[in-house]
Amino acid sequence: MRAFEYASPTTKEQAVGLLGTSWGQAEVIAGGTDLLSLMKDDVVHPKRLVNLKEIAELRGVTSTSKGLRIGALTSLGNLADNPDVAKTYPALVDALNEAASPQIRNMATIGGNLSQRPRCWYFRGGLGLLPKDDTGKDLVSDGENRYHAILGNDGPAKFISPSTVVPALIAYSASIRITGPKGAREIPLEKYYITPKTDNEREHDLRPNEIISEILLPPPGGIKVAHYEIRQKHAFDWPLAVAAVALTMNGSTVQSARIVMGHVAPVPWRSAEAEQEQAGKSVSEQTAAAAAKAAVASAKPLSRNAYKVQLAQVAVKRAILKAAGGAA
Amino acid sequence: MAEVEVDTETGVVKVKKMVAVQDCGLVIDLKTAESQVFGALIMGISYALYEEKIYDNNTGRMLNPNMEFYRLAGIDDIPELVVRMMTGKGYDERGVIGLGEPPVVSPGAAISNAVANAIGARVPFLPLTPDRVLGALAQKAGA
Repeated sequence: MRAFEYASPTTKEQAVGLLGTSWGQAEVIAGGTDLLSLMKDDVVHPKRLVNLKEIAELRGVTSTSKGLRIGALTSLGNLADNPDVAKTYPALVDALNEAASPQIRNMATIGGNLSQRPRCWYFRGGLGLLPKDDTGKDLVSDGENRYHAILGNDGPAKFISPSTVVPALIAYSASIRITGPKGAREIPLEKYYITPKTDNEREHDLRPNEIISEILLPPPGGIKVAHYEIRQKHAFDWPLAVAAVALTMNGSTVQSARIVMGHVAPVPWRSAEAEQEQAGKSVSEQTAAAAAKAAVASAKPLSRNAYKVQLAQVAVKRAILKAAGGAA
Repeated sequence: MAEVEVDTETGVVKVKKMVAVQDCGLVIDLKTAESQVFGALIMGISYALYEEKIYDNNTGRMLNPNMEFYRLAGIDDIPELVVRMMTGKGYDERGVIGLGEPPVVSPGAAISNAVANAIGARVPFLPLTPDRVLGALAQKAGA
């Protein structure tokens, strides 16, 4: 690891002031579960680390009339154990409890989880987020892409968005509050993820001198939500496909649906096709299967990941059935 | 022997139970000997279902030189394990034979056979990853 400066501000404004105006100057550190391994592997080498853990206002989970406000420093473990979250957002607890291991969940923060870097092994090996060889040839399309994207992979980005919690948050219509030098802005969580087209871009709508300060979850109303993930291992493993589904019911008919897939594209992938297919119908094995089929209709697998199309489809089908069968 | 459960929609294999019967001649310390076989079963589940070195053909690099993508079985992946050491007349008088690696040889075949028995198709490579299991199922369906 290279030498770096370490700053430990106590307010958001100080933190933002200590960050750089271009990537590479500074990184924020909270739980450190992702950043430290990136630094040890020399994939990122900031000149300064800005510790957020001393900023009290970034902590805590509060219930308000507009829903739940989750401080970005809340650990995944504390969030999963929060009684308000368990009561109102059970599918989020399912997603949290399947993420990583108990030890990591005690350290990792929700803000960090939203902003973690892709797990693409070319990126982690130092070959870049859009890995190319010396001649400019894309290494992923012609290489080991068994875990890479099957959707949204037309451009140079073939990695997958890594968070397993984000699809559930998007299903619950979460938004996030971002603080920068000019104050705060609020965006829907799904707009936070972008597909980079050049090496100079990152995969988040976050400027180098901005931090996520809180996550806002609106009251879910009567929606039925479920999270489902398919993993090779049961213990501590990255999933091969994730789906989160929120159903707004009108009697036994689905009035509208939010269907989000994870680990299939460079961004959490909301499928309008699947949502339309399921809307206006009751939930059965047949309608869920039809919606799942629509979810992957535009998938373009790479040379070695065609099997992921099947897995994503099964994840969506099972999440729809789980949502319809379970409590809100 | 292995008992497995295969999710035929996802290709995910879960070992439900393993039984090992081992002969190693005269057993000096039963607990240590059994422990060795338990460990071999766990290693067997790992190499049968998970372990794989992945190299990039273009750069020659190993892509999973870490505990994240070089998968090993975790506690949730280990089912009920039964170990029975063959001891007594006919075994003891043969003297000490050794028990380092022999019990790790058969679990891969046992798990692979159990998967073939469960899905009616053979997956011809280890580890038995979801894509390979789905591939074997698709081939069977098309045949």
